[in-house]
Amino acid sequence: MNRVIAFSRRNFMEIMRDPLSYIFCLGFPLVMLIIMTLVNESIPAEAGMVIFRIDNLSGGIAVFGLTFIMLFTGLSVAKDRAGAFLVRLYTTPMRSCDFIMGYIAPVMVIALAQVLITFAASFAISVITGIKLSAAGLGASMLALVPTAVMMIGLGLLFGSLFGEKAAPGLCSIVISLASFLGGVWFDPDGTGGILLKICKALPFYHSVHAARLAASLNFKDFWGHLGITAAWAVVITIAAVLVFKAKMKSETC
Amino acid sequence: MSAIETKNLTKRYKDKCAVDELNLSVNEGELFALLGVNGAGKTTTIRMLSCLSEPDKGECFVGGHSCARESGRVKRLIGVSPQETAVAENLTARENLELMCGIYGLSKEETKRRISEMTELFGLDEAKGRAKTLSGGWKRKLSIAMALIASPKVLFLDEPTLGLDVLARRELWKVIKSLKGKITVILTTHYMEEAEQLSDRIAIMIEGKIAAHGTLAEIETLTGEKGLENAFVKIAEGGKTHE
Repeated sequence: MNRVIAFSRRNFMEIMRDPLSYIFCLGFPLVMLIIMTLVNESIPAEAGMVIFRIDNLSGGIAVFGLTFIMLFTGLSVAKDRAGAFLVRLYTTPMRSCDFIMGYIAPVMVIALAQVLITFAASFAISVITGIKLSAAGLGASMLALVPTAVMMIGLGLLFGSLFGEKAAPGLCSIVISLASFLGGVWFDPDGTGGILLKICKALPFYHSVHAARLAASLNFKDFWGHLGITAAWAVVITIAAVLVFKAKMKSETC
Repeated sequence: MSAIETKNLTKRYKDKCAVDELNLSVNEGELFALLGVNGAGKTTTIRMLSCLSEPDKGECFVGGHSCARESGRVKRLIGVSPQETAVAENLTARENLELMCGIYGLSKEETKRRISEMTELFGLDEAKGRAKTLSGGWKRKLSIAMALIASPKVLFLDEPTLGLDVLARRELWKVIKSLKGKITVILTTHYMEEAEQLSDRIAIMIEGKIAAHGTLAEIETLTGEKGLENAFVKIAEGGKTHE
C-alpha cells in the first residue's frame, strides 16, 4: 500500500504542476459550459432546441471534461515509458498492480474534482438562468459519472501503454472529438435517428451522457440501462488496459 | 559469500549474442568496474543483475539470491542508477527522495534520517527547485542518491559521469570513492581514468565476454602495457583473452 500511495502522490504532483492540466482539465470544460450557455440564450425559444440548456448541458460537459482526463492519463503513462524513470522503478520492489493503482488513483481524484467544479458552475448558471437544477440531481449525476471516469482513465492507460508520447495524445484527441460528438454533447442523436443513432448507441459515450443527464433530472426510468452499458464498457476497457500495461511492462523488462 | 555471481550468463537479441557465457564474481564491499566499447554487453549484464532482463541461459545471483527466481528479494538488496538520469522531473530533489523512501516502505523516522544523510553526502541542499531545472551534474547526483536511499547492499552505476563536465565528474568521483568498502558497487564506464581512479578490480568486456579481469596492476602485467587505456586498446584490438 505504501508503494501505491508514494507513486500516486508523485503522479498527482506531476499532473498538478503542469499548467496544461488546469487549462484542459478544469478551464476548458468551464469555458465550454459558459459559451454553450450563451449560445443557448441566443437560440429563440420557438426553435425548441434544448440541447444547450443547462440541465442537458451539465452532464454532457462533465463527460466532455472527463475525456481530457483520458488525455492526461495517456500522456503521463507514455511520458514515463519514454524516459528512464520507469526503468528505475522496475528495479524496485514495485509490482505491476502498484503501478496501475498508482496511475489510476490520482487521476480519479482529479476527475471527481473536475466533475464537482463543472456541476458547481452548472448550478450557479441554473440559478442565474432560472432553469431548475437540483443539488440532489447533480449529486446523483456525479455518482453516475464514476463508471465514465473509470472508463476514460482506462482508455488513457491503454493508449499510454500502447503508444509513445507523440502518438498517444493524438489518438486521445480523436477519441475526445468522437466522444463529444457521438455522445450527443453538441447535438441530439435521438433527433437524427438512422445509422448515426445506431453508431452512437454502439459506443459508450452516448450512454455516459444519457446516464449523467437522467441522474441530474432524478429520472431513473431509463437510467439504469445507460449506466449498466457504461459500467460494462468501463470494466472491459479497464481489464484490457491492465492486461496491456502488464504485457508492456514484461516486454520492456525482458 | 560473493555479493554478485554469474554462472554462464547469456543473453541473445535475435542473432546477436549480447552477453556470452559470462562467469563473474564480485566480492562484498568491492568497487568493480565493467569496461567495454559500445555494445560490449555491459548494460545488458547490469540489466540482468538488476532483474530488468531475463537471461536466455545461465544464472546470476545477488547476495546469494537468484535474480530469476527471487527477484523480489534481489530488488530489496539493490539500488540502480540508470544510464539516463531517471528522476521525476516535476518533483524537487527532496520529493524524489521521499518517493523512493515510500516505494521501499521506509518509516517516517527512517525517511527523515536517510534524506538528511543523502542531502549531506551529495550536498543536495544546493539543488533548489524542480528536478527538470537542475544541471546534468545535479541530476546525476540526485539519481545516485535515489539509488542509495534505501541502503542497498549492491549499487549499480551505469555510466554515472557520462556527459558531465570535468568538475562535476571529479565531484561525483569523490562521492563514489566515499562508498568504497561500505557497499558493493558495480560501475560501467567508458572513461579509463574513471575506472583507474575508482575501482578495486576491473573487467574488460569484448563482444559479450570477459576478455580480461583483475586489478589494474594485474591487467597491466597481463597485457604488458602501462596504463589502463593502453591495456584496454591492446585487449580490444585482439590481444590477451583470459577468464
